[in-house]
Amino acid sequence: MATPFDNPTLVLQSLLSGLLFGGVYSLMAVGLTLIFGVMRVVNFAHGDMMVWGMYLAWMLATRLGIDPYLGFVCCAAALFVLGLVVQRSLVDRILDAPHEMQILLMLGVALVLENAALVAFGPDPRRVRSSLGASTLWLGPVFVDVPRLVTFLVAMGLTLALYFFLTRTDLGRSMRAAADNPYGALVIGTDVRRVYAIAFGIGAACVGAAGALVSPILPFQPAGGLALAVTSFNIVIIGGMGSLPGAFLGGLLVSVAESLGAVFLSPSMKELVSFSLLVLILLVRPAGLFGKTVA
Amino acid sequence: MSHSETRTTCGRRGFLKVAVVAGAGVAVLPGLVRGQAPSVKVGVIHPVTGPLAEPGQACRLGAQMAADAINASGGVRALGGAKLELVLGDTQSKPDVGRTEAERVINQGAQLLMGSFDSGSTAAMVPVAQQRRVPFLVDIAAADPITANVAKAVKDGQQKVQYVYRNFPTGSSFGKKAVLYFSEIFKEAGVSPKRVVLMYCNDLFGQNNAKGFQAAHAAAKPSWEIVDVIPWPEPPQDLSTEVSRAKAAKPDVIAPITRPASAQILLPEIRKQRVDIMGVVGPGSPGLYEAGQIAVLKEDLEYVLASIPWANFKLPRTQQVAEEYQKRSAGKTFDTNSGYSYDGMLLITDFLERAKSTDPDAIVAAMKKTNYTNGLMQYGGPIVFNEIGDNPNAITTMIQILGQKPVAVWPKEAAVQKFVFPRPKA
Repeated sequence: MATPFDNPTLVLQSLLSGLLFGGVYSLMAVGLTLIFGVMRVVNFAHGDMMVWGMYLAWMLATRLGIDPYLGFVCCAAALFVLGLVVQRSLVDRILDAPHEMQILLMLGVALVLENAALVAFGPDPRRVRSSLGASTLWLGPVFVDVPRLVTFLVAMGLTLALYFFLTRTDLGRSMRAAADNPYGALVIGTDVRRVYAIAFGIGAACVGAAGALVSPILPFQPAGGLALAVTSFNIVIIGGMGSLPGAFLGGLLVSVAESLGAVFLSPSMKELVSFSLLVLILLVRPAGLFGKTVA
Repeated sequence: MSHSETRTTCGRRGFLKVAVVAGAGVAVLPGLVRGQAPSVKVGVIHPVTGPLAEPGQACRLGAQMAADAINASGGVRALGGAKLELVLGDTQSKPDVGRTEAERVINQGAQLLMGSFDSGSTAAMVPVAQQRRVPFLVDIAAADPITANVAKAVKDGQQKVQYVYRNFPTGSSFGKKAVLYFSEIFKEAGVSPKRVVLMYCNDLFGQNNAKGFQAAHAAAKPSWEIVDVIPWPEPPQDLSTEVSRAKAAKPDVIAPITRPASAQILLPEIRKQRVDIMGVVGPGSPGLYEAGQIAVLKEDLEYVLASIPWANFKLPRTQQVAEEYQKRSAGKTFDTNSGYSYDGMLLITDFLERAKSTDPDAIVAAMKKTNYTNGLMQYGGPIVFNEIGDNPNAITTMIQILGQKPVAVWPKEAAVQKFVFPRPKA
């Protein structure tokens, strides 16, 4: 019986594919972790917001002929507005409520988004066709999927930009202040409500961009949100809740683990690998790879 | 006096007239009040939301169109022209919801059940039909145990009557036909591919059909081998590693059992990774022929073959229904899903016509004696139910996407065009 070690090309290809697809996972998780980090609210509508990002990219591509690799900026802007509205009109009211109420509210938002997509776009799975969609680069026997490479690079760029925004700008610093101690931030004159709304908007914008960027790679349909939300949530816990580098590296780690799991175990068990990783992290380092332990 | 006599006479005659008219009225009025004849409520349950919403909505539209046509042509004649009233249900693509929806539609008065596309949901509906004694026609769902378990329970004396019957190929019959068609097409094309990689979605349907294909292959011992079997969790988010693994097995043919979303990931990945194969030949699954899939996958679906239950487009009636379906579905093809649900409703009417009653046991007795030949799908003979409750004449047809349209290409008697295999090199 041949083992995967007999075929180093396969292992190398899986490693590379996993790493590049990790960019998609990272982008998904970065927005979720930002919202959680600032507001301590788990956005269970995250996956459905991503699906809406995909549909917006699809509309831009089919109606206006805008390639998703350019259109992702518009999708991010649209989702920023959606995030702002959801935060101001709904989330803001339950910030001090128990977690289960927050979860129920966000699940409600998810249901509304999912079914609105079903009514608006119908049930068929769709996929955006991009000029880059079929491009591949061959490095000897292994290939690099160009759309994934682009997504990976944009994910890295966005995470870095977000990191600098949080550490080097006044608004970013206010966000961190509001995240660390909302009451203290209020005392020193920070408009915490505004900061929260912007943070939620940025989180939604990240996932909107993620949706647009993966729309040529991943087919989407209205019901796809939950699976994306669960994957993002898994990555955020592994990386450390609220940590941007954690979300980015967590995304890569989970994707590579799943990819190698598909080679060394059965492909249908690859999700077992990522969730086993979650259990392991929770046992060994409950705060996640980059999470801060709360005293 | 004469006036009085006249009055008396008229009164007596008038009374008789009134009595006759009133008597006739008493006989006729209840019918008029109830809308000519009572309707028969049929619970029609499909996954119209969730990941399987696309085929589920096709099934629902097929059933509705058939019911509309039956009602327009006079309803169920044996029941005084009773109309079919559909009580619609949605499994949301979740097996547990399938069960609760079956209970709900029965509580709302459904006298028969039809559904539900997805094997998992259908299997969950079966115990409800058996417990509540509601005849259940499975219009689509391939997993063998759906009917086999009930037949066994009845045989073992655990249950008295089988209320569940299926007019759709089973997983094992999908496998047998696929292995046969693969071999026949390879032979007809004058090629001898040796290495086939089987890839499948790891849900109840995918597992069952993959198992059926492997078992049929082991039994038939054809000249080609299944060199690797690669399952993936459904719905997948990425299949690059799975395709790399398939490529490493150096296949001549990739045989995928997909769902619509997974087909949209799998086929472009096969092209991107430049897997050098003679063709993609599906042993039977959705995702490889629907209008929406062709619109998205375009050239990736061209020349893909799939062994699936298919409509008999040689029948003028099928063509008419297909045209109407296209209008009512905004341009979709009348295919496996819409077609089998359409035929399901025709069959239910046939059961009722012969049962002449809505009594569940009378309907079951009629179901067992079914011998129906007016279906729109491609069958291997009349629709009959065997001892397990399956229709052995529900068969598959090999279709191929040629010129961006699905066409029947094998067996010869069903073919409307010659297949292209191996596919031309890009």
